[in-house]
Amino acid sequence: MTMDDKHDQALDELLKDYPMPQADAAFYDRALLNASREGTRRQRKRWLFAGFSSAVAAGVAALALFGLFSGSPDTATSAIPGVTIALEQPRTINLMFGANEPLANAMLTVSLPDGIELDGFPGQTEVTWETSLSAGRNLLPLTLVAVKPVSGDLFARLSHNNRQQTFQIRIDVDPTGPAPIEESPS
Amino acid sequence: MDDSAALFEQVTRPHFDRLYRLAWRLTGGRVEAEDLFQEVLIKAYAKLDHLVDIDQPGAWLARVMTNLFIDQQRRFKRQRLGTVAEGELHGDGFASIAGDLDPVADKVRYDRLRRLDTALQQLSDDHRLVVLLHDTEGYTLEEIHAMTGTPVGTCKSRLHRARQRLKEILLADGTFS
Repeated sequence: MTMDDKHDQALDELLKDYPMPQADAAFYDRALLNASREGTRRQRKRWLFAGFSSAVAAGVAALALFGLFSGSPDTATSAIPGVTIALEQPRTINLMFGANEPLANAMLTVSLPDGIELDGFPGQTEVTWETSLSAGRNLLPLTLVAVKPVSGDLFARLSHNNRQQTFQIRIDVDPTGPAPIEESPS
Repeated sequence: MDDSAALFEQVTRPHFDRLYRLAWRLTGGRVEAEDLFQEVLIKAYAKLDHLVDIDQPGAWLARVMTNLFIDQQRRFKRQRLGTVAEGELHGDGFASIAGDLDPVADKVRYDRLRRLDTALQQLSDDHRLVVLLHDTEGYTLEEIHAMTGTPVGTCKSRLHRARQRLKEILLADGTFS
């Protein structure tokens, strides 16, 4: 067996060992229920939402999915989504912002509980930067690092002109190791 | 549950596990995978009349998922906020997957898989997709062709190049000796 053959074999073994994701049992049931509700609505061509937001209407778990500036009341989602991160291990969470129209010069402020930092911003409990949103879905990945075994709430505040919306994500820290994302309660 | 919902479940549920894994392989994260999975089911339900008549509903669902993902990617890349590097998106996927492992009991395995994950993220989307579908999920090149519309020959050459690149990276980082 040549060296290249050995590497091929090793690569095969590694790829076959690549973790196999599995859904929790309740997810399939929820997905079916949502499909029957939403699918029926689409069959009848009674669109209330467009594009990606249909999945949101179906109640798909997401860390944070915001109908920003879409004409809805300025309130956060009723259930606070949560995520568990491992101590001192960077973990990326995705925030999704929806906008009805392009928004230039929006200000995004992320406030963090003591002991949890944004990767690259050590020691800062609040980070603000200017950004722009496109019409539709916008994704903002944030890489968090827990430096203490604490829990708390992350707040992401997006403001544009006189409009503002603040969203909340529960951050729990597992001191023993990495953990999968928790779904927000439905 | 009404008759349509029951029929839909009967046709689709046997394919859920494979479809869910496909969603994860495509998106790289639990949240995005469940989002994609849900959207496919909604689309499929709206076409229930068609779905019950086709011979291989699993392949049809996989094709719908792949097309939807590709379409979303096109729109997504235009809409993504420019504040974070593209590559960071993949961190969540692996962290979520890694939660299924026992890093204490099998640190070496975890490290090797982590390196594999890093190497996979260095591939282009097309190359990463074909190697994951073929070598981890067991789809044939013909099935990948049916799902993506990419000619079998192109899939084959992408698979070859992807594996070559993975071996180079894993050799360079010391995973392979």
